[in-house]
Amino acid sequence: MLSIGALANIKHTLQKELFLAAGERLLSVVTVVKKKDKKPCYLCVVTTAPPVPVVTLVLVKQSEQRESEYKRKRSWQLDEIKSVDGRNEQFETHEFDLQLEKLYKWYALNLHERQNFLAVLNRQIQKSVRGQRAEFRNVPAAWLSEKSPEKVALGRAAQKAEHIDDDEEDEEEEAQEFTALTDKEANELGKLFSECDFAIKDAEQFIEQLSRELHDLDGANIQSVLASEQKVLKMMEHIDNAISEADKFETRLDSYEDILGHVKETMEKIGGKNAMIEIANNNNIKLMKELNKVISQLDLPHSQQQALDEPDLKTANGRKAAIAAAQCLQQAMNSDIDPALLRLEAVQDQRKRFEKWKQKFSATVSRFMNNLFIHLGNEIGDMPVTSTDLTLPNHSNVHRELTPYTELMHWTKAMDRKTYDGLMRVYTASLSKIYDRDVRNFFNLAKMQVSEKLRSSREDLDMSTSSRKSAVSTIPYGTLGINRDQWGPGVESADRIRFDALLEKVLAELEPIALQEQLFCINFFQMDVISPTTKNTQTTLEMEKAVDMSQSAVLGTAISPSAEGVPQKRIDRQINEDVRKLMMGLFGCLEPELVSFIQSFERVDSFYSLYVLVRLTQHVMSAQDTHSFLSMTFASALVQVKRNFDRFMQQQLQSIREAKLHKRSKAILPYVENFENFAQTAEGIFRKSDRRTDMEKWYLQLVNAIFEGIHLHSQEHPKTPSQVVRMENYHHMYALLAQLKVPGLDALKKDAKSRYNEALKAYVTQYFGRPLEKLNLFFEGVQQKVAQGVKETEISYQMAFSKQELRKVIAQYPAREVKKGLENLYKKVEKHLSEEENLLQVVWHAMQEEFIAQYNYLEERIQKCYAGAMINLEFNIQDILAFFSDIARSH
Amino acid sequence: MREYKIVVLGSGGVGKSALTVQFVQCIFVEKYDPTIEDSYRKQVEVDGQQCMLEILDTAGTEQFTAMRDLYMKNGQGFVLVYSITAQSTFNDLQDLREQILRVKDTDDVPMVLVGNKCDLEEERVVGKELGKSLATQFNCAFMETSAKAKVNVNDIFYDLVRQINKKSPEKKQKKPKKSLCVLL
Repeated sequence: MLSIGALANIKHTLQKELFLAAGERLLSVVTVVKKKDKKPCYLCVVTTAPPVPVVTLVLVKQSEQRESEYKRKRSWQLDEIKSVDGRNEQFETHEFDLQLEKLYKWYALNLHERQNFLAVLNRQIQKSVRGQRAEFRNVPAAWLSEKSPEKVALGRAAQKAEHIDDDEEDEEEEAQEFTALTDKEANELGKLFSECDFAIKDAEQFIEQLSRELHDLDGANIQSVLASEQKVLKMMEHIDNAISEADKFETRLDSYEDILGHVKETMEKIGGKNAMIEIANNNNIKLMKELNKVISQLDLPHSQQQALDEPDLKTANGRKAAIAAAQCLQQAMNSDIDPALLRLEAVQDQRKRFEKWKQKFSATVSRFMNNLFIHLGNEIGDMPVTSTDLTLPNHSNVHRELTPYTELMHWTKAMDRKTYDGLMRVYTASLSKIYDRDVRNFFNLAKMQVSEKLRSSREDLDMSTSSRKSAVSTIPYGTLGINRDQWGPGVESADRIRFDALLEKVLAELEPIALQEQLFCINFFQMDVISPTTKNTQTTLEMEKAVDMSQSAVLGTAISPSAEGVPQKRIDRQINEDVRKLMMGLFGCLEPELVSFIQSFERVDSFYSLYVLVRLTQHVMSAQDTHSFLSMTFASALVQVKRNFDRFMQQQLQSIREAKLHKRSKAILPYVENFENFAQTAEGIFRKSDRRTDMEKWYLQLVNAIFEGIHLHSQEHPKTPSQVVRMENYHHMYALLAQLKVPGLDALKKDAKSRYNEALKAYVTQYFGRPLEKLNLFFEGVQQKVAQGVKETEISYQMAFSKQELRKVIAQYPAREVKKGLENLYKKVEKHLSEEENLLQVVWHAMQEEFIAQYNYLEERIQKCYAGAMINLEFNIQDILAFFSDIARSH
Repeated sequence: MREYKIVVLGSGGVGKSALTVQFVQCIFVEKYDPTIEDSYRKQVEVDGQQCMLEILDTAGTEQFTAMRDLYMKNGQGFVLVYSITAQSTFNDLQDLREQILRVKDTDDVPMVLVGNKCDLEEERVVGKELGKSLATQFNCAFMETSAKAKVNVNDIFYDLVRQINKKSPEKKQKKPKKSLCVLL
């Protein structure tokens, strides 16, 4: 596309080359192509110079030989243009048609040129063509107005050629001053000139004639003005007539309008009525729907009414019908009805009827269930108990009997809380009688088995130790601080195992029965749902709340009881509490009976608390439902057993502290001796138990008390030296603790060992002493001299420590004498030591070691101080070893 | 010598036994063995006065909740223990306190709120402020303790002795019963 610059350029070129010579001026140019031949040519609007500008449309073509040569191809007068067709009002349209002597179709290369051209063409046509003007079709109206924005745009675009623009502007203004004579004026003028063809010859005459004529015309004019007055008056009259006619017409129109107004009003009223009718209709439909809903909700079929009036609860079918009817009634009573509707008398009446049915049915159910519970209770109660097996009777047949009525109970719970509570009480009372009897029988039997065992074992005991019969004391069997022979009767560990098994059987027997009953109650009494306690009789406006609550209750049954978060914990707790209360009512005697049963062991076996603690702990700690009645019952019993256990241990501890020695007491103190049996029994029970910790706590206390006791009693033992008492008892404790391998007692085991060693050393030191006393004294003197500065080699020159003196002292200890001394010592040691502990050899060996040490010391001294004097003791190490072994062997 | 019956209460595993044993025997018991019931006696000097504390260490597990009424009836002062590492143990104390007030039928019961295991700071879930505000609500003393690190352990019992003294100043010196055991 040609740029604006090029456009200006071509305009300039054409002006210069072609039109300037002819004194013409180019107003607008558009570069166009015809559809058929592609060669561009230029359509120009050209004007001749003033004063009488003639505007023509010129088609210019570029010479084919020389580019710079332009030729006028054709030219038309503007009035030859019949029509201009822009084809489309869009700016982007390139085509336009000109209807001249024939239709020319052009294609403008530049849109701005086209716009400018069309605008200029229009303006020139408007300005200079008289009569039929060319019609512009499909050209934007804005282009055709004088101040078209395109012109301004063009002006802006052509700023480069400003001076040209200015000229153009001036000339255009000039041109505008010229207005063409109209055709008429031209004719008149022509006629005038033709009448006065002489005028050219005589202008003065011509002027005169003209002024005369003008004068005549003036007069004629006045006359005609005067004549026209009549016509004017007439015309005024006509106008007045017309006005009055118009007024009349107007009044008529007004009346029509009034009529129309009435019609409109009426129509509006009718419309309003129609809307009202529609609303009323809709309301009626809604009301109908609502009423239908209410009626369908509150309607109770006749068959169901009958089922409620005369329920047959004995047969399965009757029950089914009654339950179905009852559920329908419940549904109807809880139906979701708008509170406003409840004021309807019919609804109220129906509700009252419901209430009556409900009460009647509830009363029937209550009576029936009441009788059933009591009947079942009596039926079983009348059955004689002949079982001698240690089993708790199973009452699943009662549960089976009652299960079909479960839904009735649920209904009662939701509809009539009072009746429900009453029935629950009756059930508890009836069944608790049975359970009471069962549990008592059961435990009596169990106790009997305990005492049977007791009797059998006691008989054995009595036969074997009839002599002790007189000495049946109150001191319980196994008391640590008391000598064994003063204990009351006890039982064998085999009996303990039997008791333990019996206890296990009792506990195992109780668990399923209690669990079964609990499950049945939860299901039968719907205890896992907390229902509203408010009545569901919705006869007042309050029932809105009741509906909400009963709905939430229904929701509660549908959703599992873990639907909610924090409050659920409380609900659970409440449920557990309720279940526990019920179970407590049913098994009221279980806990005291269990405790009394457990205590029946105590009379038989003082150690009972140990294994009962272990056994019961297993049941309590392993329980899944830690909050159940049975778990808590067992737990309470366990706490009491634990207290008994602690008390038993406390008594043992006390007995150690209070133990007294008798004249004939043995070297091994009674509690040390008894502890072995005690610890082995305890370990047998606790070895694999979770409760080890409880036992170990007491072990520590007991062993510490024993150590204290040994220390204390060793001082006051009647026959045996304290070192020996300590040595033997600590040795005993050490051996026992090593054998028990209780981890918690490791430190005390080490303690026992060191205490034992200490006592052994003390004993040897005390009783072996120095058998070669004088030799020892002699060398003590030697040592003193050495300490005073006498050389060891010069000791023999001292008077008191001469070789002769030494020989004299040595001569006092011949081998035979030494052996005799040792023999006496051995006898003494043998007397000191107890046989049970069997420490004689150990002590003897320790003494031998001591003697050898003393011998070696003396020999070494002699070699140092009297070297070369050939002095020796009268026996050597071989002799010593022989003495010791001879003595040990001979006894 | 005056005797003080102190009961340690709280959910399972919060460290009731650990605190008690640490106080009585100065040992930290690492191993967890659920307590059934243990009683301890310890003589201490509080504000220049010799006191014999009878401390009842109770079971925290659920089975034993039936025993609580009895404990509360017999106890003079109560240690309510929770673990700062378990929110639920903290939440449980509200009910426990209500039960104590119900059994004692008074609003003024010597009591200490104890957040144990404060050595396990990185496992803490119950903020100290929470404990403080609960104590304010309970109108009782509050301390965070560690039986393991021996933090504030003795203070619990001393504070409780002072509270008991304040509430019921010693009247006549009755010869107290020696044994803690209950005859059944």
